[in-house]
Amino acid sequence: MKSTLTTVSLVALLAAGAALADDDDCTAPRDTWQPREAAMQIAQQNGWTVQDFEIDDGCYEIEGRDSDGREIEVKLDPATLQVVEMEYEDDDERSGIRNPAPAGTAQPPQNGLFGNGAPPKVQVN
Amino acid sequence: MKSLLAPLALSTALTLPGLAMARPVTLSTTLNNYGGDRAYLALYVTDPSGAYVGSLWMAGGKSKYYEHLGDWYRATGGDTGQVNGITGASVGAGRTLEITLDLADALFDAGYTLHIDAAVEDMRDSPNEVAVVLTTEGAGTPVRGRRYVARFQYDM
Repeated sequence: MKSTLTTVSLVALLAAGAALADDDDCTAPRDTWQPREAAMQIAQQNGWTVQDFEIDDGCYEIEGRDSDGREIEVKLDPATLQVVEMEYEDDDERSGIRNPAPAGTAQPPQNGLFGNGAPPKVQVN
Repeated sequence: MKSLLAPLALSTALTLPGLAMARPVTLSTTLNNYGGDRAYLALYVTDPSGAYVGSLWMAGGKSKYYEHLGDWYRATGGDTGQVNGITGASVGAGRTLEITLDLADALFDAGYTLHIDAAVEDMRDSPNEVAVVLTTEGAGTPVRGRRYVARFQYDM
């Protein structure tokens, strides 16, 4: 699930013969990485509450909340501990992008497919 | 004649839902172990001419990712109203999504096709991952998807 822009920039990178990498990837060699504790310290300095810490696309990735309680996802370069990308999970609502109503909170659409108009029963096994 | 009757029956189902005939159907979608994040899946139906009729289920709640469900997105313009009340969680690799619903009778043996578009973060999008023409005979027959779906079948 890459954005079109990323794809375009990838093509441009390829054409230029440059390294193949996303703009939100980290490429620091493993032996230059600072320890995980150093990244946790950055989180603490910024007032972030860490709920999940993992490695993604070669970056340290922190999921949690900022000092205002907003949900965040932050990628840090593991060598420099600079912020590579920071996303607010509630950006969608703030920018007016609406997510659909989850099942159970609204009637299914009147598209003629649901014979009795009842919502489907769903489970994941 | 059959091709004329089917849309008529469906439009009747649309306008007179109280009178519409329907049957309980279970749609089972099993993902393979593709080794990635949870998949977004859009299940929807097209008519014999290939035109979008409506959606049956959306697995994945964030509309910002819907553009990656390419065929569904093109058909609906990304209109989340199409999946209001029929949206649930995305589905993990190796898991089975089982949907039971009363599906309009008019959809069967009339050239209507059930499609699944699939997308996984940082992996290749797969519009039209599954496409099966709905027939009474085809019930219970598993089909394979192109990239992420190991097995799909509908039972009634």
